[in-house]
Amino acid sequence: MQITVYGDTLCAQVTATAMAQTGHQVHWCVVEPLSRERLAEGRPLFQEQGLDRLCREQLESGRLTTGFWEDVPSGIPDAVFLSLQPGEEGVAERLVNMLASSTGCGLIVNQTVGPVGAAEQLRTIIKQANTRSALVSLPDLIQEGNAFRTFTRPDSILLGCEDGEGEALVRELLRPFNRRKDVIQVMSLREAEFSKLAISGILATRISYMNDMASLSESLGVDIDVVRVAMGADPRIGDSYLYPGCGFGGPGLSRNVLALVDALNAKASEPGLLEQVLQTNERQKEVLFRKFWQFNHGNVAGKKVALWGVAFKPGTHRVDNAPALKVIEALWAQGVEVSVHDPKALADIESWAEGRGELILCDDPYEAAEGADALMLITEWKPYWSPDWQRLKRAMREPLILDGRNIYEPDFVREQGLVYRGIGR
Amino acid sequence: MVPEQDVLTISTIWSQLARRAEQEKTLHLADWFASDPDRFARFSLEDAGLLADFSKQRMSDEIRDLLVKLADERQLRHWTEALFGGAEVNCTEGRPAKHWCLREPADRAPMVHEQLDAMEDMVNRILKGHWRGVMGDAITDVVNVGVGGSDLGPLMAAFALQSCLPPQGLSRPRLHFASSMDGSQVSQILQELNPRTTLFLVSSKSFTTVDTLHNATTARQWLGRGLGLDCDDASLLRCHFIGISANPERMSEWGIMPDNQLLFWDWVGGRYSLWSAIGMPIALTVGMDGFRDMLAGAHEMDHHCRTRPWENNIPVMLALVDVWNINFLGINARAVLPYDGRLKHLPAYLEQLEMESNGKSVARSGEPVEYGTCPVIWGEVGPNAQHAFFQLLHQGTQPIACEFLMTARRYTEAQHFDAVCELEAQHSLSNANCLAQSRLLALGERALDPEVALPSYKRYHGNQPSTTLVLEELSPRVLGALLAMYEHKVFVQAVIWGINPFDQWGVEMGKVIATGMLEVLADPESASGLDASSLALARHIAKRQK
Repeated sequence: MQITVYGDTLCAQVTATAMAQTGHQVHWCVVEPLSRERLAEGRPLFQEQGLDRLCREQLESGRLTTGFWEDVPSGIPDAVFLSLQPGEEGVAERLVNMLASSTGCGLIVNQTVGPVGAAEQLRTIIKQANTRSALVSLPDLIQEGNAFRTFTRPDSILLGCEDGEGEALVRELLRPFNRRKDVIQVMSLREAEFSKLAISGILATRISYMNDMASLSESLGVDIDVVRVAMGADPRIGDSYLYPGCGFGGPGLSRNVLALVDALNAKASEPGLLEQVLQTNERQKEVLFRKFWQFNHGNVAGKKVALWGVAFKPGTHRVDNAPALKVIEALWAQGVEVSVHDPKALADIESWAEGRGELILCDDPYEAAEGADALMLITEWKPYWSPDWQRLKRAMREPLILDGRNIYEPDFVREQGLVYRGIGR
Repeated sequence: MVPEQDVLTISTIWSQLARRAEQEKTLHLADWFASDPDRFARFSLEDAGLLADFSKQRMSDEIRDLLVKLADERQLRHWTEALFGGAEVNCTEGRPAKHWCLREPADRAPMVHEQLDAMEDMVNRILKGHWRGVMGDAITDVVNVGVGGSDLGPLMAAFALQSCLPPQGLSRPRLHFASSMDGSQVSQILQELNPRTTLFLVSSKSFTTVDTLHNATTARQWLGRGLGLDCDDASLLRCHFIGISANPERMSEWGIMPDNQLLFWDWVGGRYSLWSAIGMPIALTVGMDGFRDMLAGAHEMDHHCRTRPWENNIPVMLALVDVWNINFLGINARAVLPYDGRLKHLPAYLEQLEMESNGKSVARSGEPVEYGTCPVIWGEVGPNAQHAFFQLLHQGTQPIACEFLMTARRYTEAQHFDAVCELEAQHSLSNANCLAQSRLLALGERALDPEVALPSYKRYHGNQPSTTLVLEELSPRVLGALLAMYEHKVFVQAVIWGINPFDQWGVEMGKVIATGMLEVLADPESASGLDASSLALARHIAKRQK
């Protein structure tokens, strides 16, 4: 089939790649001029493991072509995916208006995460134009860092669809990814949108809950990691999203929770719990800063701190809302010098830091730790899991290890002659 | 140079004024307006965002001219130059009163601006969330610990300017004020706050004020307990206390870290100190730019006061009108009535500014004065006062002068956007009430329909004079001009009366006696030479505490 995907998001890249890979002819149109330049040079927008290569392959094969959203389409696609960034509602409406006025496009799939009711609004435009297009909602459930796999081998697919004809066409498009068993759950447009937000809400709640438990553990002299394993063994709880740490970030999770808080506020019910969840998370992003501050009794001006990992999670180069940003700003404000290492996110952190402050970017993790008064592990990239402790100890001015993801064994690190502080242990 | 100490003698001008008062006693304000429809044009002044309407005062052109002559006779020009020249106008304490200097530009007052810059650095750190508690948390709550001038001014202005948000990206901490010596406020505040995120501003000119130091010590112990630290811990003191005083040695002795000390000077009276670092809660409300706007507004009023001829000078005319009311019409009370809830704390602030400054009965010469000085001043938000003491204003037996305040523009800020229609309607309603009350107080039942006969208990005698002050809007700049206006007005009155407005010896002795009373309360039987009432009260309390 002829498919057009609109948007500059990771979801757009994954959708376009996966559709092209399964044999469709895909045209991917971006909104940002910068994205257009990148794609024109044959470079995908997102460099996740595997996805990067697959996307390039599809571009080279010619099954995936790229363009700009305002360009006049060369033909009428059979299906269109809208995978825009939040806040681009205006773009979505213009696109749907354009599609509604042309005949032929049978299906518009809205993947954009927005306020509940956004898809209904788009459908109203189509109805007014009186065309045969169907509009369905397929909320983006992919997990960053593991995006391609979660799209092509999903545990569940939420499909908001109030039109039988549309459903058949979406099922046909998703058939290659829905083979082991049928994981598509059909519901109304609003229900699909709300389910997506509600999922984000509970994941965020679990993490903030664990972070609360972690601060309690510290004052009770308990190791939160032991507690975490014990909790996870209970099948009613399960073991995912139970890791305490220095806060969650990324463009997705916290934004979705915010959208949910907004929705609750707009309906004038009490957003108490979720606002607390977000507040706890914002506080948690500074937990390593506080540990560093306490260790030095507030005398931190002129010291140096090394950060390992600034991406909001391993496997991505993105730093949107990442805990590292808050830590860096807090350190800067106190006159602390900051050096960072990250396997993929150095370019992103560099452009973020521009105009904000001085950041020392290092290609080598040990170089970052040179002369540092503390090492903060913020993103648990695999190469950080087993460092050369003696080398670190020699390189650092003060061998203080602040483990924001609890990936090290406290006793072992201490035996090596370093000072260890984890989250809740 | 301070003019030679002078005594207000019953001059020919004074006698002329007294004669006029006697002649015009029978005239009603309604008659003034009936015979003189252009009064407003001649009896109102406008500058620095303020309009002052004196036309509802019982005054004619002749009276005004005589009052202006009185000001000249009392050497007001000379005294104004002495004040702004930094002469020792505070004769009993041997120092100048240079609060005006706190609003001078940087090139004229480098020392002042050095402290303002130090304050700006702290204010910005707090507003940006960069000031950290001892556990590393950003500060969310700031408690101002101070009393008198270290409380009333900052409280009044910070409350008044709540709707002026600090610039984007800065977040205002919650502000709390603890002043009362019995710990009523501090005990309540400490129950609600988190020691990790609370910062205390300890404000005291001398840094010996017992009320303040007791509250500060309670706070310090609370922090120590809550954070599991010794309350002498250096990082606790560094992260949770800022001191504001004219006495750096005492601040250091108490435990304020040198970097956390903000200074002002001997030549700033406590009740004139909100322009100095004492005004930090104001800066935390509107941001440092807003605070500097307030200083600029006050500076504009300083200029107005120094340069305008007396009859066109707002603070001078306010003072002269008051003198007329007090000394010639026998009106010994003034009600301050803001018709804008944000000025809720203005009456309390003015009670201190005016009554502590001019509540004196000894002239600069040392002689007792033979005429009235500062009247009793009290007030309340106007619309609320209408439901409280306006009955007395309209139908009581006391002549009372009123001061109405209103704002022309309100609810223009973005945060009111959603409810702007309803809120603007409320603002109009309040202003309408303000105009209605001043009109009825002045004209009495002659403001009503003459055809309707009223029973005696429904009658309004009117003839209560008032001044109406209209603020363009309640911005930092206009508020600065308004407060400087009151300061200068107080000074002008003191010049007319020949008294020193800058000391407050009357508040000293009570503190001394209280020290002795502590022992009496602990053991009433040990007391000797106490009056029967005080002794019986001490016994009564002691018995109930057993």
